[in-house]
Amino acid sequence: MPTHPTPPPTPTDPAAAPTSSPWWARPLFWVELFAAVNFAVLTLDIYLAHSMNRFAHAGEWIPFFYSLAAAPALVFCWLIQGRLSPHLPGDPLDDGPPRWRRWLARWLGILVGALGIVVGVAGMILHLQSHFFTSQTIHNLVYTAPFAAPLAYAGLGLLVILNRTEHARSLEWARWVVLLAMGGFLGNFVLCLADHAQNGFFYPSEWIGVIAAAYAVGSLIAVAAFPASRSTWRLAVLVLLAQFVVGLLGFLFHLIPNLRGPMPTLWESFIYGAPIFAPLLFADLATLALLGLWAIALACPGVVGRPRHRPTLDASPSSARS
Amino acid sequence: MSFRGVFIAVFLGTAMIVAAFVVNSRRPSVEVARTTPAMVKATGRCAQCHEHETGAVVHEFEMSAHASAGLNCMDCHTPKEGQEILPHQGFEIAKQVTSLNCSGCHQDQYDQYLRSRHAAPSWAAVTGSKDFTAEQVAFGEQHHPGWVDREPNALAILQGPASITKGCQKCHDIGKPNDDGSIGSCTSCHARHVASVELARSPQTCGQCHMGPDHSQLEIYNESKHGVLFHAQRHHMNLSADPKTLTSKDMPVPTCSTCHMSGIGDRLDPTHDVGERLSYYLFAEVSDRRDDFRKKQIEMKASCLECHTNNNISTFYREAEAVLKSTNSLVKQAREVMEGLREENLLTPDPFDEPIEFLYFDLWHYYGRTAKHGAFMGGADFVQWHGFYELVAKLAEIKHQAAELRGEGQPDADSSDAATDAD
Repeated sequence: MPTHPTPPPTPTDPAAAPTSSPWWARPLFWVELFAAVNFAVLTLDIYLAHSMNRFAHAGEWIPFFYSLAAAPALVFCWLIQGRLSPHLPGDPLDDGPPRWRRWLARWLGILVGALGIVVGVAGMILHLQSHFFTSQTIHNLVYTAPFAAPLAYAGLGLLVILNRTEHARSLEWARWVVLLAMGGFLGNFVLCLADHAQNGFFYPSEWIGVIAAAYAVGSLIAVAAFPASRSTWRLAVLVLLAQFVVGLLGFLFHLIPNLRGPMPTLWESFIYGAPIFAPLLFADLATLALLGLWAIALACPGVVGRPRHRPTLDASPSSARS
Repeated sequence: MSFRGVFIAVFLGTAMIVAAFVVNSRRPSVEVARTTPAMVKATGRCAQCHEHETGAVVHEFEMSAHASAGLNCMDCHTPKEGQEILPHQGFEIAKQVTSLNCSGCHQDQYDQYLRSRHAAPSWAAVTGSKDFTAEQVAFGEQHHPGWVDREPNALAILQGPASITKGCQKCHDIGKPNDDGSIGSCTSCHARHVASVELARSPQTCGQCHMGPDHSQLEIYNESKHGVLFHAQRHHMNLSADPKTLTSKDMPVPTCSTCHMSGIGDRLDPTHDVGERLSYYLFAEVSDRRDDFRKKQIEMKASCLECHTNNNISTFYREAEAVLKSTNSLVKQAREVMEGLREENLLTPDPFDEPIEFLYFDLWHYYGRTAKHGAFMGGADFVQWHGFYELVAKLAEIKHQAAELRGEGQPDADSSDAATDAD
């Protein structure tokens, strides 16, 4: 039987993975930090976004206060668990804080994550309710409140829960990080498509974000499906590096018109103009996806080094059938 | 090297992009093929807020022919040259939408309106010429000599600014000059967001101003056979028919606009110069023929021909002109009395400071006009009871007051006493 270059994805045995690496060399540390920083940035982002209608509905304050509280809550978790990386139930107790503090930190983190999911899904429904649910047309989907945006909360919530339910050295955890990043890019694809459709894609450059997000989604799905495939992994890295360029370019494309815009104050320009933080989501999600790819590389070292199993050139009928 | 992952990555990415292009291409070109991004964005962005903040405005617009034609808010609210720009939630909009904005698409209608008495003469009738530019005054005088280059209305001044602002100007602002150099606002008749032809054809729209004792057109119309039929058959009529193709099948019963403005079949072109088919100055103290009297009368009669025979029309006009002449005669009698009093210095030169001046004003401005309008619009009761009866009554009163002012016919104290003694 010929050896396949991309062995079927099975969770790596956590026990077999190295445990002695420093904190900065562990993806989990950076993913946890990523979640907290994103919650903090969302506080400002949501404040800007909902300032557009001057927080017309009281419910619009919920994501603001949630994201305002989520980052400190995670920091609190880190403090009581004695490190950034969350403890899992099966972790040895030989060092670190006592069991109750680990338990409290873990469940507080899960609560933060669960609330993020609730806020995100409720936000999406409420955004769609503003227009789309009254009449399901493409027009209303385009001009409804950005319905994909609140899902950022759900994504971050899932990420926080993932960190507290899966062993970070497992391939399973790495693939979930990649999939969650993929979900983010899928949301970004929809967000970019709907937002630029409001302009009718007046400038052809408005398609750049859509195209970039689409290939990010494709490549991350491929990586999640074939985590041990070196070519897929490398393609994904290239696509993700391109997202940084797209993000920076988009940031400038959004910034410049706002600075030159018609609004009397800079504040109003940023509230009513092109969403200044939106393009940075490309770089942000690319960072998360690269952390996921890094974790995959740790779990499947073959994707970065020489493959452990070289593909055979056997083209016999029996090989083809397999 | 594995091809599977690369293929899936490229395939999925490309499929998503193709799907995005396909979905985007399904959007109506009227929405997306616009001159600026703001014009595209306005197709839905404005309603995001205004649906909640001023929902009726959005609903009115959605009912409009403008919405059916694919226009959006920015088509009317985009600032034109000379208009003050208001930065508004990321858009630049005109601080005030005027007839200049409408004229971008409806230039002919605006030009016709500018020639009409609805334009400069209307505003000048209250405030005089001070608000107009020299060019606007010259243009207005060219079409309505003496009706634009004039002093503010003496009666309005007497009543005071509160009355002018909340009263006079609410109707006369149909000809108010705008800061952008245009005059008036089409919304006076068409309303704002619904921009309705149907509304402009409704007698109630004209009747917002053309009612009351000084020009009782709405009341006269409602009394006339036209009005009675209209109210009975309104729901069978197509009041929103395209002005270019309007026929008597759409509106078998006329409203104000039918006779004064509409194009009917091949006989008449539509016009926004509401005086284009008027042959007399009915509103004047003493009504004279207008310039191009014949042409204007032929055009008005052309609209009558849609329902009436030539003989009927001729009879109708002959009888109405007889009313006009008779009214003129009565008004002239009253005017001679007033002029006589002035020559004898029994009245001050100032207007409206003596009761008899109000009496004379009522005579021609209310009852004289009412009789004439009643005659030309088929309102019999307004010709007689609200017209001639009051005319002769007021004339008698004027004569009586004039006699009093001259000291004529005053029963002297002696004779009065004598009469009392005799009793």
